[in-house]
Amino acid sequence: MIRAGLITALSRLCISDVRSHITSTRLISTSINPLLFKATTCLYAEPLKKKKRIDPAVIKHREERKKKRLEKQIRRLEKNARQLKPIDELEVPLEFMDRKKEREREVPTLTPEMEDERAVLLKKWATYKQKQHLKDTQMIDRLIFAQQKALDELHQESEELYEAAIQINPTQIPFIVRGPVQTPPIKGYDSPDGEFTDVSKKW
Amino acid sequence: MNIVQMKIRSCLYSTLVKALGKGRWDLMSAVCLERKPVISREMNETEKNFSKMLARIELENSHKSDHEMRLEKDMLQAEMLKSKSCDLDIDLALQQTAQDFEDASVDEYNKFLFGSRVTEADKTDDLQSLVRKLDRHLLLVVQQKQWDQKVWIMPQGLRMDGETMLQTAERVLKEQCGMDLTVKFFGNAPCGVYKYKYPKRFRETTEETSVGAKVFFFKAQYIAGHLEHNRLKCKEFKWLGREELMSSVPQKYYKNISQFLIDE
Repeated sequence: MIRAGLITALSRLCISDVRSHITSTRLISTSINPLLFKATTCLYAEPLKKKKRIDPAVIKHREERKKKRLEKQIRRLEKNARQLKPIDELEVPLEFMDRKKEREREVPTLTPEMEDERAVLLKKWATYKQKQHLKDTQMIDRLIFAQQKALDELHQESEELYEAAIQINPTQIPFIVRGPVQTPPIKGYDSPDGEFTDVSKKW
Repeated sequence: MNIVQMKIRSCLYSTLVKALGKGRWDLMSAVCLERKPVISREMNETEKNFSKMLARIELENSHKSDHEMRLEKDMLQAEMLKSKSCDLDIDLALQQTAQDFEDASVDEYNKFLFGSRVTEADKTDDLQSLVRKLDRHLLLVVQQKQWDQKVWIMPQGLRMDGETMLQTAERVLKEQCGMDLTVKFFGNAPCGVYKYKYPKRFRETTEETSVGAKVFFFKAQYIAGHLEHNRLKCKEFKWLGREELMSSVPQKYYKNISQFLIDE
């Protein structure tokens, strides 16, 4: 009600946009009739855009295209996966192939005596290795037998101790051993890094 | 690592021993602690000859290397220079030849001092040293008193209640050799057993006492550290090779332990 009263009280007031230059002269009113407010409800937001309606056929078409594109990419990836990295070291360089003749070594022809000697050595080696293998196998048998005997003795004494003994110790797996070397390690030796250029290709 | 192992073991299994009364055997654990070979063994005659032959065949089947090609080229060039000595190409003469490179490499190799395969301890025959007989197994034996005599045997001790045999072995090693020794035990199972009866005159006549002992051996590998001489219960210890072992431990004992020792 107050608002309505206010409006009537100010009915002759001219309200105009101050920022617009065109209306500046309109501040002077000559009319006897009251200048009426034209008030509209204020909008604090932009009116919503009208949703575009798309033909379902077009949507279907678009989706299909998307699917096809993805399928194509997958196919390309699969095709590439089958291609293995080439190992350069396994390929003989062409330069060597071309100049093979130059690099051939002059080998003195083997005399029959030398051939005999080699054959004898080979046979000796075979028997030597066979004996070694036999010895190893026997030793392993002996070790297993000794262990089994120990376990049997333990079993006689106590079931629980036997059970504890035949458990696998998970902390000892994997088992790694560094084998013997040609010369003993030098104490406090600071091994130099050496020089190298990394020429391996990135794939 | 060891603490973790012990923890895992103790939560995995509990132990209880049946009280058998008559004919009871004492249970003991012994540690078969070995220092594995550090360096490879010298090749014998057959191996040497055969490897020489293999190298020879390898050479015959091979082609010339880049270095050999360069060597030949250098030789040719040297001859050319000699034949027409008038127009000496200084650039060429100043270049490092393949032969120079080879000589320099050989020089560098010869200058390098490899670690000696024969150590000081080998020469002085220091039985307590670990850097002896680098290409062989060394087995730890300690001097223990058995009744009225002292014998050389592997460290051993009685099992206590609630221990598995391996735990006993670990404890025995710690008690007798100190905390400084780092070893790696191989598995939970004993590798061998030595059973012996106590002599009659030392056995008490009551039924409660045991007739003898069963010693279970556990293999272990020496990793690092050293034995504490002074704090040891048994101050005498030796690291022995196989043939020395035979002469220093009791005969019956040796016969038993040789059953599970790896041959050399």
